[in-house]
Amino acid sequence: MNNMRTRNLIAGIILLSLCAVYAYLTANLPTRNIENTTQPSFFPWVITFCLTGLSLSLLIQGILPVFNSKESAVIDVPVKRLLSGLALSLIYLIALPILGFIASNIPFFAGLMYLYGERRPVWIFGGSALTSLVVFELFREVFQIRLPAGILEGLI
Amino acid sequence: MSPDVIDGFLQATQLSTIIAVASGCLIGLIIGMIPGLTISTGIIIVLPLTFVLEADISIALLLGLYVSGMTGGSFSAILLNIPGTPSASATAMDGHPMALNGEGGRALGIAITASFVGGFFSFLCLYFIAPLLAEIALKFQSPDLFSLVFFGLTIICSFAAKSLVKGLLSAVIGLAIVTIGQDPMMGTARFTFGELNLIAGIHFLTALIGLFAIPQLVDNFADIVKGGVKEKSAARISRVFPKLSDLKLMRLPMAIGASIGSFLGILPGAGGPIAAFISYDYAKKLSKSPDEYGKGSPQGIAAPESANNAVTGGALIPMMTLGIPGDPVTAILIGALLIHGLAPGPLLFVENGEFAYGLIFSFFWANIFNLIIAFIGLRFLVKVLVVPKALLMPTIAILCVIGSYALRNNFFDVYMMFGFGLLGLAMRWLDMPVVPLLLAMVLGRQLEEHLRISLIASKNDVSVFFTSPFSLFFLCLAAASIFWSFWAEHKSKQKKRAPSG
Repeated sequence: MNNMRTRNLIAGIILLSLCAVYAYLTANLPTRNIENTTQPSFFPWVITFCLTGLSLSLLIQGILPVFNSKESAVIDVPVKRLLSGLALSLIYLIALPILGFIASNIPFFAGLMYLYGERRPVWIFGGSALTSLVVFELFREVFQIRLPAGILEGLI
Repeated sequence: MSPDVIDGFLQATQLSTIIAVASGCLIGLIIGMIPGLTISTGIIIVLPLTFVLEADISIALLLGLYVSGMTGGSFSAILLNIPGTPSASATAMDGHPMALNGEGGRALGIAITASFVGGFFSFLCLYFIAPLLAEIALKFQSPDLFSLVFFGLTIICSFAAKSLVKGLLSAVIGLAIVTIGQDPMMGTARFTFGELNLIAGIHFLTALIGLFAIPQLVDNFADIVKGGVKEKSAARISRVFPKLSDLKLMRLPMAIGASIGSFLGILPGAGGPIAAFISYDYAKKLSKSPDEYGKGSPQGIAAPESANNAVTGGALIPMMTLGIPGDPVTAILIGALLIHGLAPGPLLFVENGEFAYGLIFSFFWANIFNLIIAFIGLRFLVKVLVVPKALLMPTIAILCVIGSYALRNNFFDVYMMFGFGLLGLAMRWLDMPVVPLLLAMVLGRQLEEHLRISLIASKNDVSVFFTSPFSLFFLCLAAASIFWSFWAEHKSKQKKRAPSG
């Protein structure tokens, strides 16, 4: 079984499971007693049927050798680098509401610079601090978008 | 001449609007030429600005970026053989050989001139066709509008996907996401799980930022690993302005490109890359010297460049008159209009005629400034090709976060953006296009509303969709579009199997 067929199979199973959950939630939507009208669940049911049919087609494409598609879209990135990027983003998203934009942006920016291949410490620290500050001030003061300063609220 | 036309022209000629168009053009040229950044990413970068600017100024800025992004893509295609945007792929075939022969400046001049001609022709199409189409569209009833939106979705899926099943799946997932939030007819909360932030639904701009920017940031990891973009021939630019002999040579390919680009732009989903390749093919077939194509022929640059810029005006026609976006950029334009309380569609010309014509004339200025800024700033602009990605990519990441936060001043949207980014990566892994999902998110609410209104009005009689001539026409087109896609997919698979069998 080639690469794309395996992926189609996995995606087909996941999508069918999601269809089941979506159908369950749709079945539990409230109904309205108004004559000659469609219920709030009407459109979600239409989607459920379409999604089920298409997911089954994808599953069949994954199972049957007739659909022997050789193309395989690859996210051509080293897994370690990708996972480091995702972990960094997760930590950043958790820290963002607590620390505010500047305090969380600087280490996030520095981490990303490192992941994008920058190794000079002065560039990393200078670049991350300066860019974060400029972007923050630009949006907060010039464009009047109230970005939360978090723990640095009194200082900025 | 209608007073709306004059008012629209005056609105588009105000200093603030002109500055916005020119700034958009400058940003568009820069973003377009950087390989790995698409026009959608450029729009994402300037998106937070559109929340604080007036509607006409926001749209002028975005239009400038849209038009110039197409032209900017050709710069890196010609100088580095790396198309800055997918629409510039065909340009590289003749542009780069010219650059290697020391004619980089000439090739860039041809690309800029052809872009202007294509863009200007599509402006004329937009100016003359859009009001007429809007007038016809005013006669549409709910069943017609449902069938029209349905047709728009099917054509987007068929154009945007290698596999129709995956294209349709992407669109249906988008429709499922749209059902989160209040039901458009009765206001019942659906799939909100008690989360207040979901009552108003998921903002499609949040989805757009996540779906486009995060996979692109990940893609650029790969570029770094492979050694990044080298700036080998960026510095050497000779004479830029095309000679009279070049202009004579470019006439036919530019005309082909402008006509094909404007026509394909009107079709939702066709987009710049398809228009560029079809125009290149036609120009080659009709050329007196087809053998020169692919070896550095000016005509091979003129046809695709004229076509991809002509797509921009063409794509604005269904967006403005029917409210149907042809590509992610016009989807964002719809989003920007909605944020300012303006709904694109046939009523735009009736209720906000001045604004509608202002938009059309801003598009005109965008083409003018694209020409001026590209010619004057070319030598400085190409220096951007050497900006380190280690600085550029984290800046884009932070702008994405700010863009999604600024939508509703809410961290929830930032988390949603990240979630959509992961979804975008999963879809990339599966070779599933994201464009149908995004456009389904734009059109989904309209689709549900028109479907339910039609059924309520007809007392649940589905024949209403087949008795109206407009509706029947669009449904036939939708069926033909699906059938054609299946047939094309089948043929393509047969072709692939033939050499091995």
